[in-house]
Amino acid sequence: MKELVEYIAKSIVDAPDQVIVTETTEEGVVTIKLEVAPEDKGRVIGKQGRVAQAMRTLIRVMAVRKGTRAQLEIV
Amino acid sequence: MESLEMRGKNVKEAIELALEQLGREREEVEITVVRESKSGILGIGSEEAIVKVTPIDQTETSEDESVGVARDATLEILQYMEVSASVDIEPPVPGEMPGVILNIIGDDMGILIGRRGQTLSSLQQVVRLIVSHRLKTWVPLNLDVEGYRKRRYASLKILAKHLGEQVLETGKSVTLEPMPSNERRIVHMALADFPGVTTVSVGEGEGRKVIISLKKK
Repeated sequence: MKELVEYIAKSIVDAPDQVIVTETTEEGVVTIKLEVAPEDKGRVIGKQGRVAQAMRTLIRVMAVRKGTRAQLEIV
Repeated sequence: MESLEMRGKNVKEAIELALEQLGREREEVEITVVRESKSGILGIGSEEAIVKVTPIDQTETSEDESVGVARDATLEILQYMEVSASVDIEPPVPGEMPGVILNIIGDDMGILIGRRGQTLSSLQQVVRLIVSHRLKTWVPLNLDVEGYRKRRYASLKILAKHLGEQVLETGKSVTLEPMPSNERRIVHMALADFPGVTTVSVGEGEGRKVIISLKKK
């Protein structure tokens, strides 16, 4: 799931080398943390949070297939 | 488009003549110099310059490029999602959404559609964003999964016409179930030329829906 978020984020920001994605699992919940350059934050969140929402939808689909739960945090 | 060979006293003149004949600007063509001109002595042994001028169809080139970028991005995302699928390119449908359709084909595609097409919409949004970021320009393009949207649009058009007739007969407005924006657009467009009725969207976010009512005279 980390790779998916990383690919999408790097493809839509101006500073792809500053994209950092980490994945941790705790009590069956996968947490993906996405960190980007301050200037790129708006891009990965999107108007009214639409881009973040779209990424959440996609990782949720993956999580359901794997039988786990996943959440995306943008920091 | 076909390329044109043109002769002139020198390269510059040959290019100018070719551009004039093609009705193109310098930036819109690719030029190959076939032969430089030779001046000769007193006109003896002189040769005219020959250039080959090929028009560049800019819209076509960029559309092809955007489709390629979109297809690659889609396949890459699907790979990361561990979904094995292929992508078919289909032409835009008049009266529906502008832009080509990238139809994703494979097994177990239901998960890529999602409730009310939500997963498909998310996928489309991300692909559009990647394409526009990479090409630095907005390109209309659409994603579909196993023709889900195509079928959905077809039935929405039939439903819209049917409800339009019902509104005309009864004089009563009809409210459709909440729909995403692309589907509302299909309903609006299906009834745009339908005499006597008018459509409007009401509500917010996921609850937004179309109302079909009699056109006030």
